[in-house]
Amino acid sequence: MRNKKFIDTHIRKIKTLSEKINKNITLMEICGGHTTVIMKYGIREILPDNVSLISGPGCPVCVSSQKDIDCVIELAKNNIPVATYGDMLRVPGTRDNLEKIKAESGNVFEVYSTTEVISLKNKYPDIVFFGVGFETTAPMTAYLLKKKICVYSVHKIIPPAMKILISGNVKIDGFINPGHVSTIIGVKEYKEIEFPQVISGFTPEQIIRGVSMLLELISKNENKVVNGYREVVRNKGNEKAKRLLNEMFSVEDSEWRGLGNIADSGLEVADNGLNAKIKYDKIISSVPEPKKTACRCGDVLKGLIEPGDCPLYRKVCTPENPKGACMVSKEGSCAIYYEYGK
Amino acid sequence: MDDIITLAHGSGGKEMQELINSFNFFKSSWKNTFNDSATYDIGKGKQLVFTTDSFTVDPVFFPGGNIGHLAFCGTVNDLCVMGALPLGLSLSLVIEEGFLKKELDKIINSIKKLSKEYSIPIATGDTKVMGKGKIDKIVINTSGVGVIDKKDLLTKKVEIGDKIILSGGLGEHAVSLLSKRFDYETDIVTDSKPLVKEIIDVKQLIKTAKDATRGGISAVLNDISAKNRVGMIIYEEDIPAKNQVVKITEMLGINLYELACEGRFVCIADEKTAGEVVKKLKKFNNSAAIIGKVVSGDKVIVQTYLGKRILNVPTGRIVPRIC
Repeated sequence: MRNKKFIDTHIRKIKTLSEKINKNITLMEICGGHTTVIMKYGIREILPDNVSLISGPGCPVCVSSQKDIDCVIELAKNNIPVATYGDMLRVPGTRDNLEKIKAESGNVFEVYSTTEVISLKNKYPDIVFFGVGFETTAPMTAYLLKKKICVYSVHKIIPPAMKILISGNVKIDGFINPGHVSTIIGVKEYKEIEFPQVISGFTPEQIIRGVSMLLELISKNENKVVNGYREVVRNKGNEKAKRLLNEMFSVEDSEWRGLGNIADSGLEVADNGLNAKIKYDKIISSVPEPKKTACRCGDVLKGLIEPGDCPLYRKVCTPENPKGACMVSKEGSCAIYYEYGK
Repeated sequence: MDDIITLAHGSGGKEMQELINSFNFFKSSWKNTFNDSATYDIGKGKQLVFTTDSFTVDPVFFPGGNIGHLAFCGTVNDLCVMGALPLGLSLSLVIEEGFLKKELDKIINSIKKLSKEYSIPIATGDTKVMGKGKIDKIVINTSGVGVIDKKDLLTKKVEIGDKIILSGGLGEHAVSLLSKRFDYETDIVTDSKPLVKEIIDVKQLIKTAKDATRGGISAVLNDISAKNRVGMIIYEEDIPAKNQVVKITEMLGINLYELACEGRFVCIADEKTAGEVVKKLKKFNNSAAIIGKVVSGDKVIVQTYLGKRILNVPTGRIVPRIC
């Protein structure tokens, strides 16, 4: 759908509403997929001056803690075969990244789909899947657990992080909720977050319509969630996937890069025998706590600063030599700004 | 992290450029050593044109082609975009022990067929076999030479106001491989083809040309922009790409402009001749189009149907290795 007329109508609506609200409005798009589309089509430059969009923590690679990356690197260094998605390979650990261990040892396997891990298990029975992602990718990892594959899980769930962001230092007036996550969790879970929210799809048209719907909620002081992605998001979400998640994972506290430890925000492997953190406790317990660096990914993820405000951005931190996770993933704010920005 | 070679060093992006620059071989009389082909003055206004390329692709057979087809076209096209007609190629095969003879036959037959059709002989070659597991199925290297009048070299200066032309739809080669790898059903087949006839038809009308292989038009446009110290603006809505290609790239979250083509080139022509170039190119591929223009500045800008963005040199691993 490329519909300039549709966009013009909504841009006019946005203009009217923003004049009516008559103050600076900050909207956060939670999902990195949304940030990509916003930057790719230059959507920010066509919004009124008092409406700004800031990127949220919705890049799973970016919010994974440095400690977890170090632990998985340590597993691979100890000859335990590790499989994970391509983006995770380049995230810098304290000293190495998985890409380097892959080149050195051949113990790291890049997969595009969890079904590839099942074939790898035939050749490498001890394979550990480094499971990363939000509610979107977690069901696929749950499927691997069903197939008795050992998992190191850094899977996270989104609504607890949204609650933390509202109470944080950044003034946010509304959320553009992640489309793909919502296909799994549905609309209901957001209702507990009493805040203006619109679930949006990923075309420029859907995002612009999302912004206009959000401004409408803000102008009426309505703290509720509106489903702007009815094509695929159902009220109850994907019940089959949710059942699978409940069966294979338990909800526990989880460490988010930038946001810190958030209560009940992580999905931990329920079966101890398949939990790499428990199975390989001896190796993992030797990994030291990472030191603090000048990287400001954490503040970028909270929406406190834009990538350009970080002292490392573009100077020493680039996509080919990333210092922080947000520069690694194609969904990371810093990488997106680098690719599409000035 | 640069103490070892990673896949990013072979992806046609910034890392590869930095690696090659670090080799720093001694200066010689060869020119255009960082171009698609190097050139050497052999007197009487003639230039020898020389290029080489190695091919490794997964899968080896894909919709519309195979590694042999690629290996022939890749080297031929690197000579063509300099304006040269290929005189002959070398062909080196490194094969994994256990590779099926009938598959090798298919690869060789593709090369033979193209060689005959375009009258470009395989002049010399080499064959090695490596132990099982020491190499992934087959790697092919081809080198090629041609001779050209110096005045016909397609390395003419690009100027502000010139038009940017693309010879056909983007991304078909990459998507044909991806569809095979991810088991998608599509009608897309590789665009791999020798560009000999296209270049012969338009070479008097264009200033420079580059085939959009690794790094796609992102790499090519940024390269022309940097070499000529000019900016560019391209119009997203004018850039030809099949609907299935666009949808698959969106689905996989990969940038269409960074995808490799094996039978498409970008060329730059004066505003006055650009229309004629497109008309000629349309005989070979109806999607050929003017996609933008050369402007002042130093950046390549994409004008979308909404706002603008910058098209940067690709970095990192662009897509799964495909050419």
